Amino acid sequence: MSARLRAWLGRVGPSLVLLASAVFFIAPLLSTARAAFHKVPTILLNRKTWFQKWSLEGLRRAFDEPNFWPTLSLSLKLAFATVMITMLLLVPTALFVHLRLPRARALVEFLTVLPYVVPPIALVAGVAAFFRPNARWFLNSDYALAPFYVVMAMPFTYRAIDAGIKAIDVRTLVDASRSLGGTWATTVRRALLPNLVASLLSSAFLTATVVLGEFTIASTLAKNTFATFSFEYFGRDAQGGVGLALLTLVAITALLGVLTLLTRTKSRKAMAASRY
Amino acid sequence: MSALTFAGVRKTFGSNVALEGFDLDLHHGELVTLLGPSGCGKTTALRIAAGFERADSGSILVEGADIGKMPPHRRNMGMVFQSYSLFPNLTVADNVEYGLRTRRIAKPQRTARVLEILELVQLGALGDRYAHQLSGGQQQRVALARALAVQPQVLLLDEPLSALDAKVRTTLRDEIRRIQTEVGITTLFVTHDQEEALAISDRICVMSNGCIEQLGTPTDVYRAPATAFVARFVGTMNELPGEVGAGGEVDVLGVRTSVPNAAHLEVGSALNLLVRPEDLTLAEGGLVGTVASITFQGASTLVGVRLVIIDRLVSVDVGQGAADRLVIGDRVGVGVNGSNAVCEAVA
Repeated sequence: MSARLRAWLGRVGPSLVLLASAVFFIAPLLSTARAAFHKVPTILLNRKTWFQKWSLEGLRRAFDEPNFWPTLSLSLKLAFATVMITMLLLVPTALFVHLRLPRARALVEFLTVLPYVVPPIALVAGVAAFFRPNARWFLNSDYALAPFYVVMAMPFTYRAIDAGIKAIDVRTLVDASRSLGGTWATTVRRALLPNLVASLLSSAFLTATVVLGEFTIASTLAKNTFATFSFEYFGRDAQGGVGLALLTLVAITALLGVLTLLTRTKSRKAMAASRY
Repeated sequence: MSALTFAGVRKTFGSNVALEGFDLDLHHGELVTLLGPSGCGKTTALRIAAGFERADSGSILVEGADIGKMPPHRRNMGMVFQSYSLFPNLTVADNVEYGLRTRRIAKPQRTARVLEILELVQLGALGDRYAHQLSGGQQQRVALARALAVQPQVLLLDEPLSALDAKVRTTLRDEIRRIQTEVGITTLFVTHDQEEALAISDRICVMSNGCIEQLGTPTDVYRAPATAFVARFVGTMNELPGEVGAGGEVDVLGVRTSVPNAAHLEVGSALNLLVRPEDLTLAEGGLVGTVASITFQGASTLVGVRLVIIDRLVSVDVGQGAADRLVIGDRVGVGVNGSNAVCEAVA
């Protein structure tokens, strides 16, 4: 390869990779959008028909389904419960490991990855086999899904929290707060959590994403979540189902955008303060 | 009564002994430096005083009261850390106010105290800034202000200058000393930098392997080191082989010099004589050597001389102008003044 060609590739290469990646991710989304909102078969597509018969009718039909709002409501409640349980369990655990058991970090990281390699069907079958004879009331509740989701989301959520803790010098901050008269509660509330906001929000977002999209466990335990509703509705109304899937994707992306903006606000304020 | 006392403190981490029989009294208003190499136990001692580590045995007393089992937040101590420890989510003023809020001081008093203490560290105009908008030196000043704001009984400084560049380090070192003297607070300062320790301390506690090697004023530690370890660790030291002679004299490679520290040693025994560069002179009739290096140091010049008889390099501190006519390779004589030399017996 000549030096000129190498130099040209060096200049243009990154842009080409970026463009190819964008096409790879955006093309399916555009196709999904057309499938959801365009009522012209592919074979009849031409310059004239391309701008005709766009409609949100499929999505409207999905909204009018009697199970749409109850299942969405249940999934949002489950997401909230799962986020709360995850925070209460994993934040203290991650802090404890960093402060008191740094040598156990590798082991804990390994344990948190395990749910990733255990198939959800195996997890739910094993847990259900234990709870069905011993605590049937637990499995009967819709909120029985929350502990499963906590476990399923753990490989992502623990890493997000762990990365946040690694990004700040947590030991020094704790020692500084304690030496200034802060109790453990004060230290966590005033010195640690405000500095972990970004990672906690990331963790919450990942948890919510897992909950909103999880199908296997909800279906096996016969729960009517938004994911099981979407699957069932897609069987009855393909266009409405695709519209619903796209809307879910857009909503989650919007949520990510809002969270990103929220976490940036603090640093923007700080930058503004520097402009004297 | 001492402001802070370590009495027979022992601390181990697994099989490693970090502190062994550690006894130290800090008088009111003095600045004592724990000086030693990495792993000698100096930071462990500081963390035990702060309450972050528990001693295996022994006592920690503040004004005579045992605080060994008291949690860190109940001990009235201010601490500045080696790494920048400001809370990133808080402004400078909020950082300084932190300890006052945990003590539930009323808002008007808190505000007044924050302003007062920021003026003390000459950062009164930067109260609204965040940590990432400050230089390293400014961050450590804020950390110092934050520690002092709560009016602690003892100030603990854990290598607060080690992350800073040389010039800022010197400025802040002097600033810490000025503030410490102005406030009159008892201070325990940890460093591995001997120059820093000599410049800032009322007393220096030189440590090695969890034990105190010497406790004394900077002059004592430098001019009259108690052990060979202290002699080697603090300042530059030349090592010359010798043999104890009669009447407190030592024969150094054929040159006799009076060494008071050798008086108790057996006549005829071999020793290593540890001599400071300023106790060596360029003189006719001394140990013969050739000039190997000439390092201008401002007020003085350090001349490296390779001794012919043992092929060893020694450093000779000569006054301003005395080395002007020397060039590398010149043959010179080196005189030995043993009055402050340390003797190390050779087995």
